[in-house]
Amino acid sequence: MKFYFQNKAIEAKDGDSIAAALYRSGRRIFSRSFKYHRPRGLLCVSGKCPNCLMNVDGIPNVRACITPVRDGMKVQSQNAFPSLETDWLSITQNFDWLMPVGWYYKTFTHRAMWHAAEPAIRKVAGLGKVLSKETRQYEHAWMHADTAVIGGGWAGIQAALSAAERGEQVVLVEDQPALGGQGRYRKRVRELPADQILRLSALPNVRILLDSYCFGLYEGSLLGMLQRNPHPGAAERLVHLRTKHTTVATGAYETPILFPNNDLPGVMLSTGVLRLLHLHGVPAGRRAVIIGGAASCEEVSAELREAGIDVVAMLPPEQVVAAVGSTCVQGIQSHAGKFVCDLIVVCGPLVPDAGLASQAGGKLTWSAEHGAFLPAPLPDHVSVVGDATGEGLTGMVPLLPSSKRAFVCFCSDVSSQDLCDGIAEGFDHIETLKRYTTATMGPCQGRMCQLSAIGICARETGRSIAETGVTTSRPPNPGVTLGALAGTSHHPIRRTPMHYAHEKLGAVWLDMSDWKRPRYYNTSSPTATEKECVLAEYRAVREGVGLIDVSTLGKLSLRGADCGKLLDKVYTHRFSDLRPGRVRYALMCDEGGIILDDGTIARLSDDRYFVTTTTGNLDFVHQWLDWYLAGSGWDVHIANMTAGYAAMNIAGPESRSVLSKLTACELNSGAFPYMSCREAEVAGIPVVMLRIGFVGETGWEIHCPAESAEALWEALLAAGQESNIRPFGVEAQRLLRLEKRHVIVGVDTDALTNPYEADMSWAVKLEKPDFVGKAYLSRVSTDLSRERLIGFALHGPGVPQDGAAVVVNGKLAGRVTSSRHSPARQTAVGLAWVQASQAEDGAMIDVRVDGKLVPAKITMQPFYDPEGGRLRQ
Amino acid sequence: MSFLVPCPNCGRRSVYEFRFGGEVRQVPALDATQTQWQNYRFNRVNAAGVQTEWWFHRSGCRQWLQAVRNTVTNEVLEAYLPGEQP
Repeated sequence: MKFYFQNKAIEAKDGDSIAAALYRSGRRIFSRSFKYHRPRGLLCVSGKCPNCLMNVDGIPNVRACITPVRDGMKVQSQNAFPSLETDWLSITQNFDWLMPVGWYYKTFTHRAMWHAAEPAIRKVAGLGKVLSKETRQYEHAWMHADTAVIGGGWAGIQAALSAAERGEQVVLVEDQPALGGQGRYRKRVRELPADQILRLSALPNVRILLDSYCFGLYEGSLLGMLQRNPHPGAAERLVHLRTKHTTVATGAYETPILFPNNDLPGVMLSTGVLRLLHLHGVPAGRRAVIIGGAASCEEVSAELREAGIDVVAMLPPEQVVAAVGSTCVQGIQSHAGKFVCDLIVVCGPLVPDAGLASQAGGKLTWSAEHGAFLPAPLPDHVSVVGDATGEGLTGMVPLLPSSKRAFVCFCSDVSSQDLCDGIAEGFDHIETLKRYTTATMGPCQGRMCQLSAIGICARETGRSIAETGVTTSRPPNPGVTLGALAGTSHHPIRRTPMHYAHEKLGAVWLDMSDWKRPRYYNTSSPTATEKECVLAEYRAVREGVGLIDVSTLGKLSLRGADCGKLLDKVYTHRFSDLRPGRVRYALMCDEGGIILDDGTIARLSDDRYFVTTTTGNLDFVHQWLDWYLAGSGWDVHIANMTAGYAAMNIAGPESRSVLSKLTACELNSGAFPYMSCREAEVAGIPVVMLRIGFVGETGWEIHCPAESAEALWEALLAAGQESNIRPFGVEAQRLLRLEKRHVIVGVDTDALTNPYEADMSWAVKLEKPDFVGKAYLSRVSTDLSRERLIGFALHGPGVPQDGAAVVVNGKLAGRVTSSRHSPARQTAVGLAWVQASQAEDGAMIDVRVDGKLVPAKITMQPFYDPEGGRLRQ
Repeated sequence: MSFLVPCPNCGRRSVYEFRFGGEVRQVPALDATQTQWQNYRFNRVNAAGVQTEWWFHRSGCRQWLQAVRNTVTNEVLEAYLPGEQP
């Protein structure tokens, strides 16, 4: 296998991580530090420290030590120029006295200074560059289990086995690519439980997720987990796992020891050295010095000698003076003298990884016996097993020398001296110290530095570690990519049953909530402009006949003896007295009299009503009706027919003659008057026809089963061919309705509009004994409204934009909500909100059009066919 | 927020399947004072403790429920269809 690092080919073996392959090829520097650009090498080799963050195939901040090599992968270093070996900005460490702890707060005392400096600081400090465009795929999955075991080391394996043998459904989560934990690389301490792993893998009620980590335990016993590379089609999968019981078996991890230059490449944690050696077969050096307690030193030295690494010294931590070297370890200075070596192995304090248990409510308290913070008491549904309990820890007290070059926080270059300075400046509480120095706030989330930071805080303030306490561990920990949280980028699209017929007719689309609707049809020629097309569609409706798809309307079918009661309650008009075969405009207000939605309600028979809602409000209206029905005991059944039914509106002076070719239903105004409805057959298809006129012409809104909709649409177009029927889109419909001064709820009204202000008092029946909003509306009906919705016709050229200002006597007096050029009036007409006192029929206002004020006349009547004769024809 | 709501029709389900519908309160009478109506419209009890709330099971049985929830622990003690509390 081959991959590319800084465009140079690197050989890799099967199963190599990027870091292992790079280390084998001789690379020792893996990153440059956040602030001082100090060289950094491998430290933990388990994905816990920040030292090997790299850009992999364009993805920033990838942990190279746990990312397997894929053939042809492109890997780049971050935050180093010109290269990791010679980073010019490493000069900043010579000026560290200019950047004391709390540097930002001390230097940038004025906002303007920060704005000036920020771009430069962003360039030189920090981690990788954020992707400008995400191309990877992410997904979410949901799982359920009786028991979730987090951690696949020996303790996790035991816990999973015993739960599985009790017959429980078990999910076992392991963040490494294989089960076994320390058994995989510390064979002198723990044997690999190979038999048990085999048994576990064979059990049908155990699901093992490798290369996955749990980042949070939430209420309702929900575990947030991230699975890396779940399958070739997805980079990451976020798993929502509900369990009855969670067993935390996350073990303990090793942390660094403080001494000057403890961050030099070549200073590695002992577990890191052993992982590199046993998981990848890469010896970390040739001459090693081991620092640590006697027992750990013995174990590691035996391993190293077996691998042919020369162990030149074993030092207890108090003997260490400093590591020596410029870009890599060249030796170590100790009280016992200087040793030349290329590897310093640190057997650091072990920290039980109990953050997950503390998220479940177990408070972390200091145990002097174990030298660790342990969660207690635990809630019933969480248990901790294995090394995460602190079992076997000796409570070794770490040595914490103060030095500018002894790094506590590797993520953001905070030294032990910085922490001491911060405490001396008064930030002597662990939580304020954390925020002031940023120690424990980097990508390692405090794993490498928390114990040292607490220790220093305790020593400098003269308090005990128990009194000093620990900062709160909050999910997500470890971090999660935003892509994984967002999940798939799939967005649902709703298409009406006539969608493909529209496509053939040259529809230009408009997105309306999830729906696709034809904005207009480019039927005539490919060069026709939108304006020309819309005008042609307009003329067809006004002079001949047009057909529009209105399937996106919300459609509710109500059945039952008490439908009238419910509709009387939630709509402002009266519907219990609506005669079968009649249709009425329906307006819905909330308790405060604010307009929520509008539509039409048709009474098909005594106990059947057909309700339409606006496109975007269907769910809301349905739930609103259900809410008033809940617990009422009324006999009403509501069925949402929106997807099951399609609807189209045939409109225009010739619509009757076209429609009559396809139906036996009498269509003349005597038999089928305006605002009435019939159930009939059109072109052999069972339909509900409503004679209503949103666009202001004779017309029928025809609702039919979705599966027959395309056939009906084609039949109507064919029948209308002689009359030059034209399909029309939303844009023509909006122009046509505007000429009729018909309001669109949510466009011309907002969250403060009541029916009186919107000039729709006719739709409110205050004499009804009770309806939603009556208490408020009875008050505002007698009050003077603050604002009124008025119509206006422009006396001058141009068309105001939506939201354009209305000016009266040089003062801002309102705003335009909709405006279009009206072919009927040969000028722009529109709807606008003005102060109630100025809303006088015939009064003059000014409207801002293209930056100029143009006079306009207020019209309380429709701009077209004010008497409505054409509707009733 | 990831607690479970024990839907009387569907069983224990994730709160993400539900739409919150506010506290269960008495609607004022038509002739109630303006203050009473304002209180109903704009003020909430927002108890730190147990309160009864409306929840709509949007991704389930599509029914309105009343749920008794401890707002401090987010534990839902019981949930029932309106008028059917045990």
